[in-house]
Amino acid sequence: MAEYLRNPLCQVWAFLSAMTLASWWVSQGGFEFNVNVLVTVTVLLVSALKVHLVVRYFMEVNVAPRWLKRTMNAWLIVLLALLLGFYFFSL
Amino acid sequence: MTELAVDTANRSAVPWFKNKKLDQYICFWSVPVFYTLFGLVFVPLSYMMPPRSPAAGIAEVVSFMQSPTLLIASAILILVLGLSAVANACYAVQIRRMSVSPVFLYAFLAGSMVGAIVGCLFPMFCFGLGAFRPGYDPEILAMLYDFGYLSFIGSLGCFCLNWGVLSLAIVLDKNAILPKWLGYYTAWQFATELFAATVWIAKDGPFAWDGLMAFWFNIVIYVPWQIIVYVCVFMAIKNQSETELYSSELESAAPNEKLAYS
Amino acid sequence: MTSTNSPAVNLAKPASATSGRVSGESSMWFFIIGDLFIFGAYFVSYMYYRGQDQQLFLEGQQHLDQWIGVVNTLVLLTSSLFVALAAEGARNGNRKTALRMLTIACALGVLFPVLKMIEWLPKLDAGLTPGESLFFMYYYLMTGLHLVHVILGLIILGFVFRELKTAKHPNIGFVETGAVYWHMVDLLWLLLFALFYLMR
Repeated sequence: MAEYLRNPLCQVWAFLSAMTLASWWVSQGGFEFNVNVLVTVTVLLVSALKVHLVVRYFMEVNVAPRWLKRTMNAWLIVLLALLLGFYFFSL
Repeated sequence: MTELAVDTANRSAVPWFKNKKLDQYICFWSVPVFYTLFGLVFVPLSYMMPPRSPAAGIAEVVSFMQSPTLLIASAILILVLGLSAVANACYAVQIRRMSVSPVFLYAFLAGSMVGAIVGCLFPMFCFGLGAFRPGYDPEILAMLYDFGYLSFIGSLGCFCLNWGVLSLAIVLDKNAILPKWLGYYTAWQFATELFAATVWIAKDGPFAWDGLMAFWFNIVIYVPWQIIVYVCVFMAIKNQSETELYSSELESAAPNEKLAYS
Repeated sequence: MTSTNSPAVNLAKPASATSGRVSGESSMWFFIIGDLFIFGAYFVSYMYYRGQDQQLFLEGQQHLDQWIGVVNTLVLLTSSLFVALAAEGARNGNRKTALRMLTIACALGVLFPVLKMIEWLPKLDAGLTPGESLFFMYYYLMTGLHLVHVILGLIILGFVFRELKTAKHPNIGFVETGAVYWHMVDLLWLLLFALFYLMR
């Protein structure tokens, strides 16, 4: 059991689960269903971080060649920028 | 068999009309001819592509469906539609060479036939009817307009099956006839076309038959795919060894199931 | 556990500029990258159309079962962890551990479609169909397309299981290929969860 506690995969999983619950809590935190910039930005940033961790540790891109790392990073950054961009544009 | 195995040095000496794959190359080069005529029919002659809005008014529908160039478009289409069978045969020949069950080949052939009839013939006939006898009631034309576009997009079920079958065959194939990544590209082609089912629900917005999700994303994936797949088919014809050509001829004369896909 | 190899060894390998190890077959990565771009385009279009009518989308969001969304996220994350542990076990030559981990991962994976049905059926029953509004059209189609990926993933994991169970020398590359696909399914859900359930 202690071995699993030291396993980076398990540590990443614990962090991801905690982030999931945290972003849920932020989204539920007593707000009505109204436009809320703070919630949206927090939720999207936390999700991007989660995706980055899944790519890096579960998909093992941290030991992959540079082209793959860069492609995955570029995808995530461009996606996040477009999502936030369209969100703010429509406010 | 050894006499027929022409080595590369020898091959250049063979005149083109004695090339063993001449039949395959003729079929292959009919494909760009087909697609050019096809494009001519659907874009500048009929203006049905890019798709018109499902929310178009009756006056607009009538002026579109009574355009005289639709008659030329329909006439060309009924003559060239047979070439789509040749184009599909070019894929089918390659599927036949793969180490997969023949059910893939039959499913592909049947699907492509039904798809071509529903997806190409029906819409053009619907639109051509308006031009054929200009006295039709505008209400009837409006219905034919819906029927034309819905059957045009509605054939995607057949094409989904085609691309699904082709994709699976490429991925499962152990003879490496077509590259693996093409199988995966074909899988996206399959997945994106699933979204076309929404044209029966949405009359405007991104999921209507002229919408971003139901049409434009599919086209962005489809057009490069169609070009790439034919380049890959060309390479597959080119890389086919002449001994295999010979043995497959023998095999079709006396079919031997064990040889065909062992 | 009996494995003597520290799992950290696999993860801490330094990646140099030009070399490195791709987990799984490169054709699978071709598929994954393309799939991510396609889903990315869908997500951006969702955000664009959401911006056209924020109230409609917020109204639709109220009808989603938040708790099923959260549970499904945790289910997929945990399933992903077990697939990663299975791949690690297979790499360390520990076939028994790998099979056990994979079994847990598959069991959790099967739970996802079940929960999806528990979520969808009452909604459809209450008349919240894809024709209800643009939000529900996006919701059913995007989660439906993801569900297709989940089911395909379960089939792939089944083949991985067979490979680990029956092959004399299991092909580690194939095990990793299945694992990488499953992680992609997981990460797409993380984004779907944020866009459909959480954002305001």
